[in-house]
Amino acid sequence: MKNKQRVARHGRLSRWVAAAAIGLMALVIGAPSAMAQGNEKVDGQTYVIGTDTTFAPFEFRQNGELTGIDMDILQKIADDQGFKVEVRSLGFNAALAALSSNQVDGVIAGMSITDERKEIYDFSEPYFESGVQMAVAKNNDDIKAYEDLNGKTVVAKTGSEGETYAKSIAKKYGFTVKSLDQSATMYESVKAGSAVAVFDDYPVLAYGIAQGNGLKTVTDKVPGGSYGFAVNKGKNTALLAAFNDGLAEMKANGEYQEILDKYLSDPSASTPGNFFDLAAKSFPALMTGLWHTLLVTAISFAIAMVLGLVFGFMKLSGNIVLRGIATTFVNIFRGTPLLLWAFMFYFGLPQLTGWEISVWTAGVLTLSLNAGAYVAEIVRGGIQSVDPGQLEASRSLGLGYGKSMQKVVVPQAFKMMTPSLINQLIISLKDSSLLLAIGFGELLYQGQQIYAANFRVTETLIIVGVIYFIAIMALTKLANYADRRFNK
Amino acid sequence: MSAVTEQSSQLKIQVKDLHKSFGSNNVLKGIDLDIREGEVVCVIGPSGSGKSTLLRCLNKLEDITSGQVIVDGFDVTDPKVDINEVRRHVGMVFQHFNLFPHMTVAENIMLAPVELKKMDKAQARTRALELLERVGLKDKANARPASLSGGQKQRVAIARALAMAPGIMLFDEATSALDPEMVGEVLQVIKELADSGMTLVLVTHEMGFAREVGDRVIFMADGVVCEQGEPEQLFGNPQQERTRDFLSKVL
Repeated sequence: MKNKQRVARHGRLSRWVAAAAIGLMALVIGAPSAMAQGNEKVDGQTYVIGTDTTFAPFEFRQNGELTGIDMDILQKIADDQGFKVEVRSLGFNAALAALSSNQVDGVIAGMSITDERKEIYDFSEPYFESGVQMAVAKNNDDIKAYEDLNGKTVVAKTGSEGETYAKSIAKKYGFTVKSLDQSATMYESVKAGSAVAVFDDYPVLAYGIAQGNGLKTVTDKVPGGSYGFAVNKGKNTALLAAFNDGLAEMKANGEYQEILDKYLSDPSASTPGNFFDLAAKSFPALMTGLWHTLLVTAISFAIAMVLGLVFGFMKLSGNIVLRGIATTFVNIFRGTPLLLWAFMFYFGLPQLTGWEISVWTAGVLTLSLNAGAYVAEIVRGGIQSVDPGQLEASRSLGLGYGKSMQKVVVPQAFKMMTPSLINQLIISLKDSSLLLAIGFGELLYQGQQIYAANFRVTETLIIVGVIYFIAIMALTKLANYADRRFNK
Repeated sequence: MSAVTEQSSQLKIQVKDLHKSFGSNNVLKGIDLDIREGEVVCVIGPSGSGKSTLLRCLNKLEDITSGQVIVDGFDVTDPKVDINEVRRHVGMVFQHFNLFPHMTVAENIMLAPVELKKMDKAQARTRALELLERVGLKDKANARPASLSGGQKQRVAIARALAMAPGIMLFDEATSALDPEMVGEVLQVIKELADSGMTLVLVTHEMGFAREVGDRVIFMADGVVCEQGEPEQLFGNPQQERTRDFLSKVL
C-alpha cells in the first residue's frame, strides 16, 4: 500500500508543481481579489452531494454517522472554501443516477475517473490513486495466483475497477466474473464459497481485512486509475473549482496525508465484540430505521386507503369510462414491480419534469400507488360480497345511493375487508424495505450500513430480521384488536 | 304532477301498458292496473309469471322498459321525478327480510327517519318502539337481527318499512322464506295493516290468506294479467282455463 502511494504521489508531482506555480502566480498578480472571487461563488452555498452507502474506508457509517476518507476530504474542503454540504448516501449506482438527473450537485464515492464517465460528468483533480487486488477466504490455500482460478467463479463490484480488471483477464485465466453491488455481500459470498475470490479496490480490501472480514490478499496490487469528485457535465463549475482549490490546499498543508493515514495505515483497532455488543451498538441506528419504516408505511397506507376507496368504487361504477380508468390504474400498479416505480419516481420523474423529488416523496408515491391498487381490489371485492338485497332494502326506504353505501353497504363491506387490509398493511411494511435501493433510510438499509462498515453480515441481518418480526407481530396484534373492537 | 293528482284522487296506483324486459327476455308484456286507496290487492300466479317484477317496478327497484306507472301522484317513469321521494311513500317488505345486520333492531327502524331528517334520534327511537310494539317485538329493540327467528325478522322488516309512514306497502312473497309455524305471526301483522285501511299490494303464495284479506286478487301468467276479481269470484268461479289450471295445482 505504501509502495502504491509513493508511486501515486510521484506520478503526480509535476502536475502538483504546476498547480502550485499557478497558485503562486495568482497570488502575486491579482492576488487577494482573485482568491476571494473564487470562494465567493460557493461561499455560504449548500451543495447536495451523493455518495455510496457501503464503500469503506471511503464512506461508511460509524455509530450512525457517515464517515470515511471521502467524507473527511469533502468536509475539510467545504470548511476551507466556505460552503456547506448535505450528503446523501444513496449507493453507488443510485448516486450516479441522481447526479445525471440533477438530484444531487456532485458525487464523491471512491469513483474511478474513466473515459466513459468523463463524457457525461466533469471530474475534479484526482484525490486518490487506487488499484485492484484479489483476496480469498483466509482458510483457502488453493488459490495463490490468477492461474489457480481456472473454471472458478470470482466476484467483483458492479461498475468498479475491480470488475473491469477481472473481466479483462477472465478469458486468459478461464474464470467467470459475477458482479455484486456491495463489498460486504461480495466478501460474504467468498466466505460462503459461492465464489472463490474477490477483486476489489485495494484500500477497501485492506480496510475490510483489518476489520476481520475473514479474507486475505494473495496477489500484488494492480495499479489502477484515480478517484475523482464528479459534477454533471457543464454544471456546478464553481463547486468543482472550489473542490480543486481545497484539495490543493489540503495536500500542501499535510491534512490530506493525515486523513489517509487515519483510515489506511492504522485501520480501526477495535476488536469485534460479541453478538450482544453488536446489537447494543447498532440499536440506535436500527431504531431510526424502524421509525422510518413505520412512518413511510403509515403515510403510504393512509393514502393507499383513499386511492383504494376511490378506485374500488370506480371499478363498481356503471360508467364505462370510470371503470376503465380504475381498471387501468389497478392493472398498471399490480402488473409492474414496486422497485421499478421507486427508480422511476426517484430518478426518472425528475429528468422528465425537472421537479426535485425527495426520497420520501418517491418512497411514499411508490408504496401508496402499489398498495392503492391492491386496496382497490379489496374494496371492490368487499362491496361485491355484500348481499345486493341490503342496497335494495336501503334504497326502498328512500335513501339515496351515496347514503345507502355509506350507512348500509360500506360498514358491512369494511368488516369483510378488514383481514385483507391488515394483510396488505403488513405486505406494504415489508415492501418498504425495497426503498433501500433509492437510499431511503429504512430498517434494512440501516442494517446494510452497519454491516458495510463492520462486515458482520449474518449477525446484523439476524438482528434486523428479529426487529421486523417483532414490529410486524405487534402490528398484527394491534390490528386484530382494533378489528374485534370496531367490527363487533 | 298536479294534473295527474286531479284525475286520480282516489287512485293510489295506476299502471298503464307496462313492459319490462331483461335483455331479450320479456317479463312483463303490457300490464294495466288501477289500485284504489285502502284497497288490498293480492297478486298470485306461477313462478316466472312476472309478479315480483311488477311489484318491483312500482317503486322502480327495476328500471321500466316502457309504459307508465303513477304511484301516490308521482309518475315514476318520468326521469325527472325524485325516486327517493316516491319511495318514502311506498314501504317494501322482502322475501329475505334484508335487515341490516350491523345495526340493532331499533337502529334498523330509525335509519330512514334519522338520515332523511324526518326526526331527531330521540323522536325516531320513540317511533321505533311504537312500531315494534305494534308488531309485538318491543323487547327486541336492542337485539341484533342475527339473534331473531325468521318470523321475528320479518315483523321487524315490516316495522322498518312503516317507519316513514308510507301510504302504500308492497309485500314481495313476505312469508315464502319462513318456517311454516312462523307464517301465522307475520300474516297476523299484515292483516292488521289491511284492517287499518292502508293500501297493500301483496305477491303471495298463501291462497287462503289472499282469499281472506284481499279485496281483489290478480292472477298473472306469462307477463300479463290473466284474470282478476274479488277473491270469492276468482277462487270460487275462475273464468280462464289458465287460472283454473293453476288453482287446481295449488289449492
